[in-house]
Amino acid sequence: MGPELQAHVAFHLTGKRMGAGLQAAEGLRPGLLARFADLTKLRHDFPLVLVAGVDESCIQSLSTLVNRILQVIAPRGIAGEATRQHVLRLERELRTLAANGETGLLSRLWDQAAKRIGAADDPALAGSISRALAALAFDGEVVDCTHGLPSRLVTLAWKTLQQRKAERRALELQRFSLRLSDILRADFVRSRAGTSAERLQASVGTGMEDAFDFQAMSGTLAQVSGKDPLPDSRRRRVQQALSLLVARQPGTQAVAAGPDDLDSLVFANCRDALAAFRDRLPKIIELVKAMVIAELEIEGRYVEATHDPFFADFDESSVSARDLNLFPDYLVCIGSESLHSPENAGLMEILASEMPIKVVVEVSDVLEEPALRAHLGPVTTAAQLGRMAMGLGSAYVLQSCSSHLYQARSRILAGLVYAGPALLSVFSGSARGTGLLPPYLLAAAAMESRAFPAFTYDPAAGPDWVARFSLDGNPQPEADWPVHEFSYEDEAHQRATEQLAFTFIDFVACDPRHAGHFALVPRAEWNGSMVPVGSSLISDSPPGVGKIPYLQMVDGDYVLQRALADEKLLSAAHRCREMWHSLQELGGVRGSLAQPVTPAAPAVMAAAAPAASAALPVVEDPEPGQRSDDPHIDTPRCTTCNECTNLNNRMFAYDANKQAYIADINAGTYRELVEAAETCQVAIIHPGKPRNPDEPGIAELMKRAEPFL
Amino acid sequence: MSTRAHECLMRMYLEEHNLESYQGSIPRWCSGCGDNAILTAVQRLCRDEKLRPEKTVFVSGIGCSSRLPHYMKTYGFHGIHGRALPVAEGIRLARPDLNVFVTTGDGDCCSIGAAHWIHAIRYNMNMTVMLHDNQIYGLTKMQVSPTSPKGLRSKTTPRGAFLEPLNPLTVTLGIQNASFVAQAVDWIPELIYEILSRAFHHKGCSFVRIIQRCPEFLPELLDPWLHDPNRTLLLTHEKGLQVSASLSRVYKNQREHDPMDIDRAREIASAGDPIPVGILYHNPSVPRYEELHAIEPLRTPELIQRGLEAELDKFTIWPQEEAG
Repeated sequence: MGPELQAHVAFHLTGKRMGAGLQAAEGLRPGLLARFADLTKLRHDFPLVLVAGVDESCIQSLSTLVNRILQVIAPRGIAGEATRQHVLRLERELRTLAANGETGLLSRLWDQAAKRIGAADDPALAGSISRALAALAFDGEVVDCTHGLPSRLVTLAWKTLQQRKAERRALELQRFSLRLSDILRADFVRSRAGTSAERLQASVGTGMEDAFDFQAMSGTLAQVSGKDPLPDSRRRRVQQALSLLVARQPGTQAVAAGPDDLDSLVFANCRDALAAFRDRLPKIIELVKAMVIAELEIEGRYVEATHDPFFADFDESSVSARDLNLFPDYLVCIGSESLHSPENAGLMEILASEMPIKVVVEVSDVLEEPALRAHLGPVTTAAQLGRMAMGLGSAYVLQSCSSHLYQARSRILAGLVYAGPALLSVFSGSARGTGLLPPYLLAAAAMESRAFPAFTYDPAAGPDWVARFSLDGNPQPEADWPVHEFSYEDEAHQRATEQLAFTFIDFVACDPRHAGHFALVPRAEWNGSMVPVGSSLISDSPPGVGKIPYLQMVDGDYVLQRALADEKLLSAAHRCREMWHSLQELGGVRGSLAQPVTPAAPAVMAAAAPAASAALPVVEDPEPGQRSDDPHIDTPRCTTCNECTNLNNRMFAYDANKQAYIADINAGTYRELVEAAETCQVAIIHPGKPRNPDEPGIAELMKRAEPFL
Repeated sequence: MSTRAHECLMRMYLEEHNLESYQGSIPRWCSGCGDNAILTAVQRLCRDEKLRPEKTVFVSGIGCSSRLPHYMKTYGFHGIHGRALPVAEGIRLARPDLNVFVTTGDGDCCSIGAAHWIHAIRYNMNMTVMLHDNQIYGLTKMQVSPTSPKGLRSKTTPRGAFLEPLNPLTVTLGIQNASFVAQAVDWIPELIYEILSRAFHHKGCSFVRIIQRCPEFLPELLDPWLHDPNRTLLLTHEKGLQVSASLSRVYKNQREHDPMDIDRAREIASAGDPIPVGILYHNPSVPRYEELHAIEPLRTPELIQRGLEAELDKFTIWPQEEAG
């Protein structure tokens, strides 16, 4: 083993660079990220446009919006090419503006971008841009993938949902009030006061008063109505429920939160949210009780003897998560750095309960400072928050990265409408000291490398893990690491292509704080002992004696470099892979306890289902036991036509399904049996053999019965 | 929007219903009439689905079949000729909490009510429509109906009907937004029940044509099909009907048919013999008018008064303003 190779092995095993050949890998980025040098030139999901709405349309991607516009205003082929180029130029400029920190309404940024690309001096460009603006279906706030995006995005969607919920609730309270008022009004118009001559006269209006004798009318009505007035206890109950429902309608009480006081339900820590919830809970219990009483009264199903005791003890335990979901939710937006001891306890209390509190945790750092820990790995508490919350069982959990929020929009909304607590744990890629890459790229790298994989746990989605847990949103979820094509120009200026896995080690390589775990190898020292990290991480066994894993990286001049990875990094990557495997098991992609269920399995199961159901009829009903000698009816085929029962309703009767059977064979004659068989529309009466051979005309009857035996 | 506590309390006092709970007055249909089988199947359905009588309404037009609401101990509306469907649509809009059933006949639906029939299918409002098709006007003593077979001698066609009969299935399947189309025959009551049950669970306008015998005026018309089970074709599918083993022993002529396949459904519907029985078409994703169309959610006394006054004002004769 030469001294260079010895130095490589020593670095891999100890993490110490010995000799002059190896250098720290500073200012480099993983080779697979080389093509993402300037995000403003790439059409991707960001920036997003946040629009007020309750469905997926509340989160729009600029590139999707532009695509839709182009479909409308730019004809296919060469005719629309100029328009397409103009609008795509504008989109690029919008993306640059957003990347430079500009925010605001899309229409405002649109004008700004148009000016910057010189639309004022180019009539054709200005025409295309104004046509595109006219075709713009949405206007909303433009946001890029920056620090604070998860909270901002979720808060907007949450507020819109709360407003919609408040409108529905207000309508329902009005409906209850109206129906309860109807009960009181109906009682009044039947009462003595309601049928008084004065009231009757007032109801007729002016002009026709002289045509009626209201006294006589009142006297007549008094005789026929008002005898059964509403019992006092019922009237009191209805009045109490009504007054509470009216008092809690919008504009009268904070409990029915309208759009104005939604900000008071957004909190920066769990403790305050819990306090606010507990503070409002008694009023909510009171209102739910009034709603239940109203529902029973409206249906006319309130039974005092049984319901009074129930409502006497109506308390917190009588109100379910579904009931609480009728009322405003609480939103907590916190950063992972604030998840210290008391806050953490508050968060766990929320997630283990049925409280309608939604928590957005913006995780800014997945890798801890190397100085703080002896071992490297995705070990921050914040990075594991989603898994811990999932273990509690009752909370909706979504884990994702900022870069993938657009794809996760429907799952975000599902979490916000879930009846109970929800945790939305999002890695924002904006930790301090990791400034080499933009947050979008760092967040996407965390997702690709399985350092912060996406998953959703929805307890309401079904009874088992198959229904509740989903790995949707992860790239190549069936693989350990996603594999991508990597092309470059080799020393002979020829195009070379490799398949490279994007691993946890690639993600660590994006973080300058961990540059010490890599050693840059001068090109002259490249040798056959070096193996790509991807191949080292495929198997559980070590790379082999003398084999040293390296990472393809590029420097600032886009020159391909090789960086050795040390042993600590490799074992951290193995731990990351194990954690990913456990998620794969939960998601049914990998199975250690049962037969693996691949994504193709549902189709296989579906294909098997008809076979199973087709197999069912094999177990046939036994043949009916009656012999043709015994009179009987094929009851299930009876059409209830009354022919036989009209003939003799003691001999023939209907069963619980109103289909005929022979109730008493001795209640009639053989002649009646034969006549019933002849008149039966569907010929299901079988008279059998006569029981009394001495019945008059028996020979003729037996002949007539033959077709029905 | 209903609270959990309310649902629990309601469940505590769920009433047990038997068939008698849904039986109104004694049917005055002729002995042997196929309407009886339909009535029994409907009553069984109400019992098995535990439908609350006060939350159920049967709407009808005019004809033998349209007497059915009288025999149900639920709400009922015996309407005017051909207008059962618009009445039922009004009920659906005003009282979305009710289970709405419509019983209509071949004359009521396919002749005088044909326009309403087409638009009711297109509106696809949630209700179960039963077309009792006995192929004759029975209540008025035997006049030809739109579905009477060609050549039928009746009071109005003494030399035989000149026209080919209208096929209610192909018509319905040709209407935009059709979402559930099925056919039953009164002599297989087990399948009337099964099909009506599927129709009831479908969210949208379920159209079930039930071919029925008229023992009084057309006593032998359907005998060939009654006496030869092979002239009835049962349509089976995992998403459609599954036929019991005992019924399969009698009705061996069966075919698997996917109810999502509308082209195949139209083909089957066009072939009259053997008579297809089962679910021809079922598409649960067709939108329902009552959900697309936002109606005034709260019927306050003021709203009702405004509406009444607006209607009455149409008939008011205002004094002419004096000239000058």
